[in-house]
Amino acid sequence: MAELLITPSQTIGPFFKHGLEWPGGKKLFADAAPGRHVRVAGVVTDYQGQPVPDALIEFWQADAAGQFGAPRQGASAGYGRVPTDGAGRYDIHTVYPGRVPGSDGRLQAPHILVVLFARGLQRQVATRLYFEDDAANGEDPVLALCGARAGTLIAKRDAADAYAWNVSLQGAKETVFFEA
Amino acid sequence: MKLRKLPSDVHPPLLSPAYTSTVERAPRQRPIPLPAGATELSAPRFDGTVLYPGHDDLTKQVAGGEAAGQRIIVTGRILDENGDPVPNTLVEVWQCNAAGRYHHDKDNHDAPLDPYFRGAGRLLTDAGGQYRFTTIKPGAYPWRNHSNAWRPAHIHFSVFGRTMLERLITQMYFPDDPLLGYDPIFNSVPTERARERLISHFDLGVTQPEWALGFHFDIVLRGQEATPANDE
Repeated sequence: MAELLITPSQTIGPFFKHGLEWPGGKKLFADAAPGRHVRVAGVVTDYQGQPVPDALIEFWQADAAGQFGAPRQGASAGYGRVPTDGAGRYDIHTVYPGRVPGSDGRLQAPHILVVLFARGLQRQVATRLYFEDDAANGEDPVLALCGARAGTLIAKRDAADAYAWNVSLQGAKETVFFEA
Repeated sequence: MKLRKLPSDVHPPLLSPAYTSTVERAPRQRPIPLPAGATELSAPRFDGTVLYPGHDDLTKQVAGGEAAGQRIIVTGRILDENGDPVPNTLVEVWQCNAAGRYHHDKDNHDAPLDPYFRGAGRLLTDAGGQYRFTTIKPGAYPWRNHSNAWRPAHIHFSVFGRTMLERLITQMYFPDDPLLGYDPIFNSVPTERARERLISHFDLGVTQPEWALGFHFDIVLRGQEATPANDE
């Protein structure tokens, strides 16, 4: 039994922009960081497929070599934070992540941890973003847990170095969210 | 490394119909249990360059004047549930002004803006996990959740821990606020013991004579599971 009770979450609310501004938050790595630089963009929607213009999305990933937290001015490399715009859209610039171990020690397919906050969400929802054309997806144990819904975690290749990935908070195509 | 299992009755449920926006936005599928891997068990670290001039005094961030309202000092520790401090971690705070108006273009509540108050601060905890900032006591404000709905006075807190699983955004409330009994957001926290965690304590020891009232507010994040090596 833990000594202390943890503090409960409360919603981020609609008015967080001045409190959580993060200039440069759409770039998870410096331009000169090694690896394949890619863009990911998409839209966040609600139960009717309408855009969510007041969400905050955070991204966390390993670098191309599978290492976390390389020093960078401000926040460690591999961290990103973007609010959705008026059309519910977000976009980030990052480096294709290297493979990192899961809880069983085996390497997982390249992925980005995504955490999303919004008015109407009592706490963050957490998920993972995978990349359509990665050969390792077929043996990734976390994707396997998602069964038929695994497709909601897979970003589609848009162009040579651009991927599209949307988040559906609720509904027929609801994104898989995790608890850990 | 494993974190302690998350208690099931601390966080408010995603679907809380009394808080009407949750009906449109809460995921309806059960979350899938994820065995935490290296990604979940790490987190960004932040250096001193994230702190800007006036980062810890919201009353004096705009040149030419001081923010209006009851000056308060808010201080506390970021701890984990094992009682260990979380040093050098990023805490971000934001709030409305004394009249109950946010510095945000979507807030059109009929209350005056304060030209000397933006309402956001940023802190790094010290080696003992402690943070401290000066601000003014936020006003209550009306919202359209239900008829004659008012949010109790609150300060928003965003906190990082050692892993992304500890990440927390929450709200700090003030003791003896009559609006707490009516607020669906506060009351969607399932137990009284957990709700108590969200209420700051007036602390005469933090109060500075003839300057500011003082309030104490600790935040407890998830902690590591006990192992034979680190348990007593």
